[in-house]
Amino acid sequence: AKHTEQHEGRLYNIPLEEVKAVFPHGLPHRFQQQIQTFNEARVMVRKPALELLAYLKGSNFAHPAVRYVIYGERGTGKTMTLCHVVHYCSRQGWLVVHVPDAHLWVKNCKELFQSSYNRDRLDQPLQASVWLKNFKTSNERFLQEIKTQKKYMWGKRESTEEGRPLREVVEQGLARVRSASDAVGVVLRELKQQSHRGSFRLLVAVDGVNALWGQTTLRKEDKSPVSPEELTLVHNLRKMVMNDWNGGAIVTTLSQTGSLFKPSSAYTPQELLGKEGFDTLDPFVPIPVPNYSPREFESCYGYYLERKWLQHEKAHTEDGKAELQFLSGSNPRQLERLAGPL
Amino acid sequence: SSPAALAPCRIMPVRWSRYNPSYLEPEVRKESYQKPLEELTEEEREQAELKAVRPIKAAPPTLSSSVFSDPMISKFTNMMMKSGNKVLARSLMSQTLEAIKRKQLEKYHKAPENEKETIECNPYVIFHQALKNCQPIIGLSNITKGGKTYQVPVPLTDNRKRFLAMKWLITECRENKHRRTMMPEKLSQELLLAFNNEGPVIKKKHVLHKMAEANRAYAHFRWW
Repeated sequence: AKHTEQHEGRLYNIPLEEVKAVFPHGLPHRFQQQIQTFNEARVMVRKPALELLAYLKGSNFAHPAVRYVIYGERGTGKTMTLCHVVHYCSRQGWLVVHVPDAHLWVKNCKELFQSSYNRDRLDQPLQASVWLKNFKTSNERFLQEIKTQKKYMWGKRESTEEGRPLREVVEQGLARVRSASDAVGVVLRELKQQSHRGSFRLLVAVDGVNALWGQTTLRKEDKSPVSPEELTLVHNLRKMVMNDWNGGAIVTTLSQTGSLFKPSSAYTPQELLGKEGFDTLDPFVPIPVPNYSPREFESCYGYYLERKWLQHEKAHTEDGKAELQFLSGSNPRQLERLAGPL
Repeated sequence: SSPAALAPCRIMPVRWSRYNPSYLEPEVRKESYQKPLEELTEEEREQAELKAVRPIKAAPPTLSSSVFSDPMISKFTNMMMKSGNKVLARSLMSQTLEAIKRKQLEKYHKAPENEKETIECNPYVIFHQALKNCQPIIGLSNITKGGKTYQVPVPLTDNRKRFLAMKWLITECRENKHRRTMMPEKLSQELLLAFNNEGPVIKKKHVLHKMAEANRAYAHFRWW
């Protein structure tokens, strides 16, 4: 649907083909289940998203990229706001670099190799190859147009010449899994250097950005802990998030649910990013995401009734609605969990 | 265990709590508190006066004032519970109901127009109907006469029927499943099969009926 604003509280429909093309990775798991059950993807238009879209529309692309940090308590819809913005930008024709959850890169990694490019750093071939595959599906046409500006050597024999389309770098990363993290680094560097020319707009969307500056649960072979700088993927992503390039925007989300070694009541940027992260991200625009307002709650409740998701007889009554509102505290995640068995 | 103000007795109550007869039952329904004074009848006015004076018993954990509470569902959840972990049992129950709802809704959306009304999407209706279909009508009991034990067909009370149905369902789901399938998934499958009068639990009920029919001759051994 054409993105018309001033429609706060309403739900808009995304056609299923677009969902597969724009979001190969990035939608929350429960939302994907909901898409499958209802056969359609409906996202609610809320104030924080409208604010962000207004800023993006009015932003001047000659200036350095502005950083937006979406924060809020658990389950208030930060990831969904990010997905809304990503969909809008891909509709407008921007190139989207979408990292679904940076926490996946700093924990539960089965294979860590020493990077060939730089002795100190560690590679993560699995996560890098998964990300490259999803990046390819979401940004097909840009990969043909953008050309590399430098010659890159992958090991002793393979190399990518200057002026070849970026698609070849991505294919190289997918084919040679060992050098996948370096391929990711190359892609990000090329995009950053070429974005100021103005042929395309670049949106960097990172979910769970507090993973880049926290601690990791990974260990090296001699059981010493790994700090995030030593991972190639994290290092390259940090360079993207710095605002020394222009021609686009950076939208990030804080997330407590995947974060490591942080208390569950922490939700402000100061607590979750830590001192280092906060200083690096320093001039940013904070966007708080609150719980549902009464109007949004009514709209969500009406949607569930219409799609026959609330099947219990008492759920259709006023008492049932009041009880749902009280039990969930207008929190979107709690409402969804409560409405499941009902 | 036992609360204050016991009636004077020499035996200490161990399992069921014994209250002084002056304690009243807790009242949970919201409607009874919202009636103004004029609408109450004589007895209700006496009750209200008593409530102001007498102490009230503690509410048991199964009693709830929510409109969504269902006694059968809570009984089933208690039977599924292991070592007092009610949180886990309740979450498994809600995941089961959600799984049933998702499967039925997917079927509903794919079905053609004329079949849409026949598909039942309400997980509670499916649960109750499935349990009703699983309840045996007649049971067997062991009676010893002249040194030998006979399986005698015997009528069952409602409580016993409900208990047997729930017990069979839970044991079936715990034992006959693949190591990796989760309980909500298996339970939702079994409930949907029982709703359509198919499945291993219904088969067990039929086997019991056949045994009772086969042992009809011993029915006169029953003396109650």
